[in-house]
Amino acid sequence: MGIDNNLKKARMRYIPMSETMLYILFSLKQERHGYAIMQYVKKLTKGRITLGAGTVYSSIGKLENDGLIKGICEEERRKIYIITALGREILCEETARITELYKNIKE
Amino acid sequence: MSDRKCVLFSAFRYLLPSDYENWLERMATEGWHINHFRQWSSIFMVFRKGKPKRYRFVYDPQVSPRKEYIPTYEQFGWEYLGRMASAHFWRMEYEGERPEAFSDHESIVKRNRRTIAAVSVSFIIFLMAVLAIGMVLLFFADSLSNTDRTQLVIAEGFFGVIVIALGVIMLFLRKNKSR
Repeated sequence: MGIDNNLKKARMRYIPMSETMLYILFSLKQERHGYAIMQYVKKLTKGRITLGAGTVYSSIGKLENDGLIKGICEEERRKIYIITALGREILCEETARITELYKNIKE
Repeated sequence: MSDRKCVLFSAFRYLLPSDYENWLERMATEGWHINHFRQWSSIFMVFRKGKPKRYRFVYDPQVSPRKEYIPTYEQFGWEYLGRMASAHFWRMEYEGERPEAFSDHESIVKRNRRTIAAVSVSFIIFLMAVLAIGMVLLFFADSLSNTDRTQLVIAEGFFGVIVIALGVIMLFLRKNKSR
């Protein structure tokens, strides 16, 4: 019941998702800290998106508060995060939505 | 020529965070530097003359930042300058592309909304003071001495002006929340 409610709330808040949020959530399929997220997204988008410190900090805070990611440890004052089961579910649903959108437009 | 420049009420001259950042950047390119922000910097701040530099400043309102707030910015290369009320200040020297702490439209709007929320708190406090004094003047005026009544009327006028000014500032910030 609790999990269903969390999923409903997360759907309401995150679908559709902004490009920034999607990339941050996707990058946390592997354990990363804030700066590593920025480097990963920059590489993935071939330099098109360079996330700023304020954007990363506030996005991580929002995702963590809503249970889509969680902090797992700290290394040299840097907090490391990873995606949760709820985050994976939302990422999966959002990917399906974008895929459908892409297919519909392509046809 | 003096190597110090005092600026009064800077936060009231540049209401939008982005305008405030641009003003600080212009000052730095003219060689006027501020290395530390304090609680009262919005009212009184001192710049010192030095070499002209290109700094990108960040004005980030955060009432109670999490433990990783400062480390996150520092990892991205930002230098912490302190806080002025709930606004935290950062800077980064740059050449070429201007660095951004808020890299998408959504983050900029959220930052500006946090600024509006900070002004709203002051607005509500002063509004409550105006209402409370107004009630006293309306219902208990007869039991007050002339001196007390005069003092309350002056206070009502003073707080009223502040409420109007804060209301105008909030409207301005709301209108320009995307900048």
